[in-house]
Amino acid sequence: MSSEPIERRVAYIGDRLRGSRCNMCGKEYFKLKNYCGTCGRESFGKMEHIDFFYEEGTLEVCTLVNKPTNKFTKLGPYIYGIVTFHDGKVRFPGRLTDRVIKDDDEVSFDDLEGRKVVPRFRRRHAVEPKSIIPTISLAFSFADEYYPYQEYRPVKPSRKYEKPGIVGYGVYSSKFRIRERMMERSVPFLDEDSITAAVEAGKMALIHSGVDHKLVGKVYVGSESNPYAVKPIASKVAQVLKLGEECQVEGVQCVDAIDTEFACKAATSMFKDAASLVYYPDSQESYAMVIGTDNSQAAPRNEPGGELDLFVGYGGSAFIFGLQDVIARFEGWVSFTSDTPDFWRRDTQPHPSHGGRYTGVPAYFKHVTKVAKELMGRLKLEPRDIDYFVAHQPNAIFPTRAAKALGFKEEQFLPGLQVAKFGNTYSGCSPIGLAAVLDVAKPDERILVASYGSGAGSDAYSFITTSQLVENRTRQKFTVGYQAESRFVDYLDYDAYRRFKQGMEAA
Amino acid sequence: MKAKLPTIISVGRTKFGEHYEVEPEKLIEEAGLAALDSARIERRGLDACYFSDYFLPITNKIGLEEGFLSELLELNIPMEITRSFSSALSNACNAILAGTYDIVLVGGMEKMTDRWDKIRDDLMLLEDPWSYYAGCTPEANHELMFRAYIKEHGISGQQLDVLNTALAQFSVKSHSNAMKNKYAQFRKEILIDAVIKARIKAKRPLGLFDFAPISDGASALILTNLEIAPSYTDKPIYILGHSMATDYITFPSRSDLTSFVATQLAMKSALKKANIQLDDISILEIYDQSTMMGLVSLEDLGFCERGKAWMDMYGSYQKDEKGYELKERRIFVNVNGGLKADGNPLGATGGAEIFEIFQQLRLEAGERQIKADEELRFGCVHELEGFGTKAYVYILGGK
Repeated sequence: MSSEPIERRVAYIGDRLRGSRCNMCGKEYFKLKNYCGTCGRESFGKMEHIDFFYEEGTLEVCTLVNKPTNKFTKLGPYIYGIVTFHDGKVRFPGRLTDRVIKDDDEVSFDDLEGRKVVPRFRRRHAVEPKSIIPTISLAFSFADEYYPYQEYRPVKPSRKYEKPGIVGYGVYSSKFRIRERMMERSVPFLDEDSITAAVEAGKMALIHSGVDHKLVGKVYVGSESNPYAVKPIASKVAQVLKLGEECQVEGVQCVDAIDTEFACKAATSMFKDAASLVYYPDSQESYAMVIGTDNSQAAPRNEPGGELDLFVGYGGSAFIFGLQDVIARFEGWVSFTSDTPDFWRRDTQPHPSHGGRYTGVPAYFKHVTKVAKELMGRLKLEPRDIDYFVAHQPNAIFPTRAAKALGFKEEQFLPGLQVAKFGNTYSGCSPIGLAAVLDVAKPDERILVASYGSGAGSDAYSFITTSQLVENRTRQKFTVGYQAESRFVDYLDYDAYRRFKQGMEAA
Repeated sequence: MKAKLPTIISVGRTKFGEHYEVEPEKLIEEAGLAALDSARIERRGLDACYFSDYFLPITNKIGLEEGFLSELLELNIPMEITRSFSSALSNACNAILAGTYDIVLVGGMEKMTDRWDKIRDDLMLLEDPWSYYAGCTPEANHELMFRAYIKEHGISGQQLDVLNTALAQFSVKSHSNAMKNKYAQFRKEILIDAVIKARIKAKRPLGLFDFAPISDGASALILTNLEIAPSYTDKPIYILGHSMATDYITFPSRSDLTSFVATQLAMKSALKKANIQLDDISILEIYDQSTMMGLVSLEDLGFCERGKAWMDMYGSYQKDEKGYELKERRIFVNVNGGLKADGNPLGATGGAEIFEIFQQLRLEAGERQIKADEELRFGCVHELEGFGTKAYVYILGGK
């Protein structure tokens, strides 16, 4: 069983790779130290807390682990080694993640050593199902592969807008995919889940926006696949990304964090809340972050509900809202809700169930088309006034049919249609579509988003892009298009895909 | 010499290996009785006991080991448990030196096979939790040290083949030595080819035959002072110098990945205390949890130059079946088979090392007895805890 105080302390250091630097001699240490071994007592109070979360390291030496300890057996053979940062000033033990080593693979340590690596936030090891899920960033991947090293540099905002909008965003999908029936879907590595994707997406949004993490006053995380029935993902995100001012003595962040759930619209629903919060003059919050993350669940193909198994993906998206250096401002929004039980998952059930054949007409189409029409009506817009239309995309057919029924042409809805690349990422799904559009849009273009969450409801938003969009784009290499087309993507067969989705705790 | 100099008057041990049917305290009973009998001491003659086990609380769910031992011995004398035989012996030496006690029993025991299914997790967690969290195994650090060593010293190509062969020879020699050790876990010759094939099979720098096994076993000795010793034996063995040093728990965080600083410091200080030169030592027992650890330890103890032990090992294998020629001197290393072949029941291992040096210096090692070119005067015992987190060095000598 887990010990929550031990878990709390290990995660506090390990999730962010916290260390110390002596401000007298410059010596650096892994873990937090109150004084320097070289400078002794004089260094008391002169030790600076540092961390290596956004840093690039080097794999100094490595070996193969093909007979792991019990809690790592599900990971299969992996590379384990020593990672150095800051030209060898500090060293960490580390496991290479995102790497499948087959029994007959030749592993050359000479080819691996000396290469640059990036820390990755992952599950630490397997635990009993009742235990706290341990996490750590002592997992690394090569910076010259799928996940590039990117500098995070907070930027001083230059322009304040009257109305709030999106100031930055990030998308995270894993390196692994399954390709079936004209569709590619992202699959988590064995140590990934909806928590790790949320952190990665949030990290990407901070990098893209250049927003100072200390100024984010609230984080919302929408998911329907939180591995916990009770315990927020948002608290993990807040601590790992150091959102809000940190009170270092107690290790507490001055930030509000909350998880939301409404099937696939748990994140989009909070866009307006985040915008309203930063707009409310007394809130004192400069920025709010909304994350949608899911390791979308589906029963195996041959079981009831197994139809979903052809469509589910894995990934997260994060959007930061604020009033400064806005890249896309809100033009309007509207939502509809009805008690339509088209898709549900009872507590303790591992996979969702759904009514009939996705109950497309009375559920998805009714809500999506109604909400889009209503917002267009309120803003007095015709389909030709809108440059991009993004709908929730549980598959490719539904959003295409909805878009066509609303009068949109392919050039308006195809850029935001990403389901054939990543699968249905549930809460992250329409936001990934929005991110894909923002990756390519020009200033002063209008984007209409219509999300959908089973149960059921839809949120529609109209955004107008600004010229700031172009500047932010230079900060983000890990775009939706890059992730979709990267040559480093690994394709899995069906059995591996099911195994990976179950993760390292699978029986 | 000082009257209170710690002096070993007898030793005892069990066979190392798997003792399926036996409780841990029964193992120490066997080893302890052997030591007591050999010195003809009644248990009531003991002033105190210093015991060691690395992790019986985990492997056997035994907490207050002292209570089990008090019950076993039917004694109420002071007893303390520490984690390694060397640390128990270190405390015993200090007590003897201080004059606190005159006759003490030092004993170590371990029962690792009872926990065979989870032992690698336990070993790694205790060695360093952070490395464990990152996915380390009990073997991996040895292999990382190998990788760091060959990079640091620029060893590649043909030289690397020589180093690999030298490590294999070390293992082969250990097995060969253990053939004459009736207590050894493995009494079976192995071939260089088998060592190398095991590495290829494992796809790693080190393979099955490069590592010491997990073992059950116990060892013991009776320690007294120089003054009293002659009333029990005419061949006392003196602990002329003992020292220990510590290092960071997290191996990757240490400044040097190619040596154990703790060993270097302990050896330096032990030699100083014993007031002898390195060259005076002709037999040593080193802590070879792996062949790589053995190689590095030869350098750390000063018997080989940094980055060159493999050349010395390779060179002397051809010439000398039993010993090594290091710095142009004949030296005997791990004559009992070392941890590799004698076995490695953690809390008892150091006792087996002392056992060997004790018998060798008394010329009582039977068919294992080495015949040095000159008189066999001083022996050295080296023990580590963790992956070089603690290092102990003992310098022993006869008359």
